Amino acid sequence: MAASLSLKGVDLHFGGVKVLQDVTFDVEPGVIFGLVGPNGAGKTSLFNCISGHYKPNSGSITISGTEVLGSAPYRLARLGLARTFQQPALQLHATVLENVLLGGHIRLPGWPVSWALRLPYTARAERGIRAEALELLNRAGLGWAAGLPAGELSHGLHKGVELWRALLSKPALLLLDEPAAGLSHGEVEQFIKTVRRIRAEQDITIIIVEHHMGLISALTDRVVVLDHGRKLMEGTAAEAQSDARVIEAYIGKDAADDAA
Amino acid sequence: MPAMSSVLANKSTRVILIAVVAIALVVAPLILPAFTNQTLVRIGVYAVAVLGLNIVMGYTGQVNLGQIFFVGLGAYVTAYGVNHDWNIILVFVAACVVPGLVGLLVALAAARLGGLAIAMVTIALPIVGVPLAKRLDEFTGGSQGTSARFTDAPDWSGLYNDQWQFYIVLLVTAAAFLLGRSLVRGKYGRAFGVVRENEAVAASMGISPYRTKVLAFTVASIFGGASGFLYLAAVQYTSPETLSFGHSISLVAAMVIGGAGSIAGALIGGAYYVFVPQLTNAIDPNLTTISQGAILLVVLFLLPQGLVSLPRVVRRLFRRRTSRSSLPGNPPQNSPVHQPATDAAREGLEKTERQDRS
Ligand SMILES: Nc1ncnc2c1ncn2[C@@H]1O[C@H](COP(=O)(O)OP(=O)(O)OP(=O)(O)O)[C@@H](O)[C@H]1O
Ligand SMILES: [Mg+2]
Repeated sequence: MAASLSLKGVDLHFGGVKVLQDVTFDVEPGVIFGLVGPNGAGKTSLFNCISGHYKPNSGSITISGTEVLGSAPYRLARLGLARTFQQPALQLHATVLENVLLGGHIRLPGWPVSWALRLPYTARAERGIRAEALELLNRAGLGWAAGLPAGELSHGLHKGVELWRALLSKPALLLLDEPAAGLSHGEVEQFIKTVRRIRAEQDITIIIVEHHMGLISALTDRVVVLDHGRKLMEGTAAEAQSDARVIEAYIGKDAADDAA
Repeated sequence: MPAMSSVLANKSTRVILIAVVAIALVVAPLILPAFTNQTLVRIGVYAVAVLGLNIVMGYTGQVNLGQIFFVGLGAYVTAYGVNHDWNIILVFVAACVVPGLVGLLVALAAARLGGLAIAMVTIALPIVGVPLAKRLDEFTGGSQGTSARFTDAPDWSGLYNDQWQFYIVLLVTAAAFLLGRSLVRGKYGRAFGVVRENEAVAASMGISPYRTKVLAFTVASIFGGASGFLYLAAVQYTSPETLSFGHSISLVAAMVIGGAGSIAGALIGGAYYVFVPQLTNAIDPNLTTISQGAILLVVLFLLPQGLVSLPRVVRRLFRRRTSRSSLPGNPPQNSPVHQPATDAAREGLEKTERQDRS
């Protein structure tokens, strides 16, 4: 079941720095939603608020109607939330397969004692999740890398491994923080196809933070533009790109005047 | 397919290897001299303690300088049980459960404190433990210590004591290593690893860093207790000296030298713990500390991943010489640790940890 997300009046301060101010928007279940804005606008901070890594000073964040503000982040995975990080955070010495398997943690049954005793049901679950992780990697054309230490892969592939790690948890709401940063043109095309396939195959809501406007236009149903921690506008990607306030935020007021 | 056949070959060689080692271990005490048996027994004793330490420190990355406290506690519980004529199975269970519970309580409190605070709490354990063992002489026999004989070979076995003890230690050590190996290989092993490397990522996978640390610490304490049971089975005597802080540091050194984050490394660590003092004593009894330090530095300098990485390092050297690596993609220049986003997420996690407390 794809999840819905609702933010109301989210404020986040660090000391005197207002990182987010009164951010309010809703994400319908099943959509691909874009979150854009200039560097430092607060996009990653907003993701951190949704995933529980940051605690907003005020406001409300609900996932499918459940208030998550103030929940420990590890509890949110069980509500169907999964995310990637702007800087891929893989275990570089572990294999790619082991990295992806982490995403399966919440789907595996059993207590430490049953795993230490290797009770048949834990062994079966482990075999099952491994097969599933390998299948994901194979379909992504990454099967060859499964047994390699993640540290030996390129930056672009790290982003991919993070995506498959997040997907192995079967999320209902997936947050992708700049999934295309540093990717080549061909890799971006490939990524767009992958996200379309994921949406076609599973019931999932996806929120993408991205500076690559081509990707945002190609994938998203709706976008919110953030600037200096405030919501600047909300609409389709095309509307955002032609919105004067957005152009101004991105290239500065003077340049916007020159362009006009 | 060559890859497939090499996997099969690998698997069958492994099965044969395990069978050979198992038979050798069963036959060995019958033919080896008593002194060698006793040495092997002591390796087993400390390997179990190092295994536990490895789970909390090597795998989960939580500095624990108090492992010897749990070894000593297990030894005292064993002595108490034996001297009160408990059934030996009950003694063993108590020697694991009591340190396990104490470890759980300590971890519930200490794992809330981040980073070095955990280390400080664990330092306190042996420091408090020694005077405590001296004071509680009703249970511990005070400064003189307490002895308990329960591992003399029974008549029906026809074995000598050292052989009988060997089999007891072998049984428990093998069981501990099998359990430890299974634990670090699946769901919880991955959780340990990600908590060690990046708590923010752990949390986003639905893994509570706090609970995972408590689990690892408790498991380490249980293995410490089992090691204490084995210690008493082998030495038949324990005193406050058993749980002195210096021994705890030696356990950490043995764990790192054997190989942090490696099950086989724990076994090597046990051997290191037993052999190196013998070796340095043989060189010059006046210089044991210095020569032990020198050995530590040399091993860590040459093999930062511990002795267990020796075959890997040799293989890699060999491969590098024969052909330059031809892997696709470039190794990433960015380690997540140094990236601002992850650092920010970490700061966020501290808040999470505070959340956990409620
Ligand atoms: N933990 C923190 N402590 C203090 N300030 C922070 C923290 N996290 C973020 N900020 C500040 O909040 C602002 C928004 O940062 P954020 O990373 O959310 O921006 P962003 O929109 O993701 O930018 P980019 O496109 O560069 O990734 C920045 O000014 C940043 O310095
Ligand atoms: Mg960002």
